[in-house]
Amino acid sequence: MKFCVCIKQVPDVTAPIQIRAGELSMDAGRVVLNAYDASAVEEALVLTADNDGEVDVVLIGPERATETIRKALAMGADRGAHLVVPEDTELDSAAVSQLLAGHFKDYSYDVILTGKQAQDTDAGLAGGMLAERLGLPYATNAVGLAIEGDQLVVTRQGDTGQEIIVLPTPCLVTCSNDMNNPRIPSLKGVMGAKKKPVDSAPVAEIPEASVRVLGYEPLHTREPGRFIEGEPAEQVAELVNVLELS
Amino acid sequence: MSTILASVAVQNGSPSRASLEVLSRARQIADGQGATCAAVVLSPDASAVADELARYGAQKVYTVSDPIFARHINTPVLTALEAVIAEAQPSIVVFPSSEGVKDVLGALAVRTGAAVLPDVASVEMKDGGVEALRPVMAAKFMARTRAEGDLVLVSVRAGSYEAVEAPTEAAVEEIVFSFDEATLRQTLREVVGSTAGTVDLSDAQVVVAAGRGVKDEAGKQLVEELADVLGAAIGSSRAVVESGMFPATAQIGQTGKVVSPDLYIGVGISGAIQHVAGMSNSRIIVAINTNPDAPIFDVATYGIVGDLYKVLPILIEEIKKVKAVAA
Ligand SMILES: Cc1cc2nc3c(=O)[nH]c(=O)nc-3n(C[C@H](O)[C@H](O)[C@H](O)COP(=O)(O)OP(=O)(O)OC[C@H]3O[C@@H](n4cnc5c(N)ncnc54)[C@H](O)[C@@H]3O)c2cc1C
Ligand SMILES: Nc1ncnc2c1ncn2[C@@H]1O[C@H](COP(=O)(O)O)[C@@H](O)[C@H]1O
Repeated sequence: MKFCVCIKQVPDVTAPIQIRAGELSMDAGRVVLNAYDASAVEEALVLTADNDGEVDVVLIGPERATETIRKALAMGADRGAHLVVPEDTELDSAAVSQLLAGHFKDYSYDVILTGKQAQDTDAGLAGGMLAERLGLPYATNAVGLAIEGDQLVVTRQGDTGQEIIVLPTPCLVTCSNDMNNPRIPSLKGVMGAKKKPVDSAPVAEIPEASVRVLGYEPLHTREPGRFIEGEPAEQVAELVNVLELS
Repeated sequence: MSTILASVAVQNGSPSRASLEVLSRARQIADGQGATCAAVVLSPDASAVADELARYGAQKVYTVSDPIFARHINTPVLTALEAVIAEAQPSIVVFPSSEGVKDVLGALAVRTGAAVLPDVASVEMKDGGVEALRPVMAAKFMARTRAEGDLVLVSVRAGSYEAVEAPTEAAVEEIVFSFDEATLRQTLREVVGSTAGTVDLSDAQVVVAAGRGVKDEAGKQLVEELADVLGAAIGSSRAVVESGMFPATAQIGQTGKVVSPDLYIGVGISGAIQHVAGMSNSRIIVAINTNPDAPIFDVATYGIVGDLYKVLPILIEEIKKVKAVAA
């Protein structure tokens, strides 16, 4: 089966970030492959290792995001496509899905994978939007994938249990990081990735975002808490007291 | 007159708490706009909850009753919501931010040409547009976002608003829905490990959450006993879902569920930002952890530095005692 995984370069959310004049400000170097997308890449690699197949990746982002495509190639993906946009272009999920839909008009895949959400914005929309634009059956929040003939069996984490969904191909699935633990590229993988093809082309027209970010604000700070000291029995007595459990 | 539509999920025969929260918010927005507050329910027997929705302020209830809604499948949900939106012509649709909703929100937006504000912590009408605060960067910050257009879809995190009664009379309109199984290009083979019927985590008033500090069956039993004496739902960190000790439906955080109970007790949880993203809105946070430097203590209302294997047995006994006295 031929897979294509949509990948995003995101700021490392565990790096120090501040708000300056309503804008987020962080060490620009700390960018990573979106963790949910890394799981999608991993799953595609596992599924194509046993069966025949290929894994492509596609990314929309500025020039420097090529390094994230290389990361996926170093993990083992075969080929990359880079839709290049100017630095600091604001794209919401709708705009992303529109550009990706344009991209997929020229290619044919059995399965398109996306992350369940981007780690920085937690929007979680682009996958469903893309499926609808392409007219593909889809499933979201997958924690497991298996190939059965020419069908895909998706284990989806729902609200109250895991839904086992069978999808015909072509289809689209959005992946949770609970699906697997993405491999760390080997040195050989990293070296090999340099020779793999990446088609890069500028985006001709940037779609207008339907949702604008007006600015960033700190979270409501919580009232400072306190430690309850003492031996366990004393700690428990005090806790039961302050929680007014009686 | 314009309509603010709240999408309601039915759980164990009643509207979920998160649904009543968004309905209450819809009513407030509608009142501010001189608009109608309406609700939509997709369920095998949708009209059964109409009275309850009227009690929480729905002036109009759109029902779509079909056995297919007994289990979540995205295609029929999309078809039904599209039909209701065409009929009700709302300017805003508010949803509780559940996995079922996340599954359809993007596709529904494309189908209806709507702008979407997903997973927000607050939402309001402002200068003719819809503005929302959304947690971003693993809930380290809030982004103030704005959407304009004839239709805006908004999903609201559990616990962002209070469910308040605002009794009214509701006109019920059954939307004719027929679903062509042939267009269903997916099959739901089965649902495994279903927790339906138990206290839903996102709806719970008290949550006991277990982390990697819970190392074995004995620890797990302590957590279950504590939850039992408190009438709490059990949550967990990703680490113990990964190890298979707790089901994935219990996971709280960026990947898992958002909870906002009155009381959250985290035992043996370090408090990684991806976990805190799902529980920092709890009213009281108690953390029990052997490591005084664990980040969970930064958000805790009450911190207990201690071994859960020593603290929990005493805590369970003490709670049993006070409950026995109260009874
Ligand atoms: C994209 C992404 C999404 C994620 N989403 C989630 C999510 O939704 N939910 C989530 O939880 N995590 C999530 N994670 C994982 C997260 O980063 C942490 O790895 C995870 O939360 C750690 O779980 P833990 O606190 O149980 O384990 P640990 O970090 O290992 O902490 C265990 C704690 O137990 C304490 N302890 C040990 N023994 C005892 C004892 N006897 N008594 C008391 N305390 C003890 C230790 O001091 C320690 O603080 C995500 C990660 C990524 C990258
Ligand atoms: N710039 C991008 N380039 C390629 N894929 C993207 C991009 N942004 C988002 N995606 C994909 O869409 C998923 C969901 O994104 P979002 O709707 O922004 O949360 C991500 O996990 C990616 O798989």
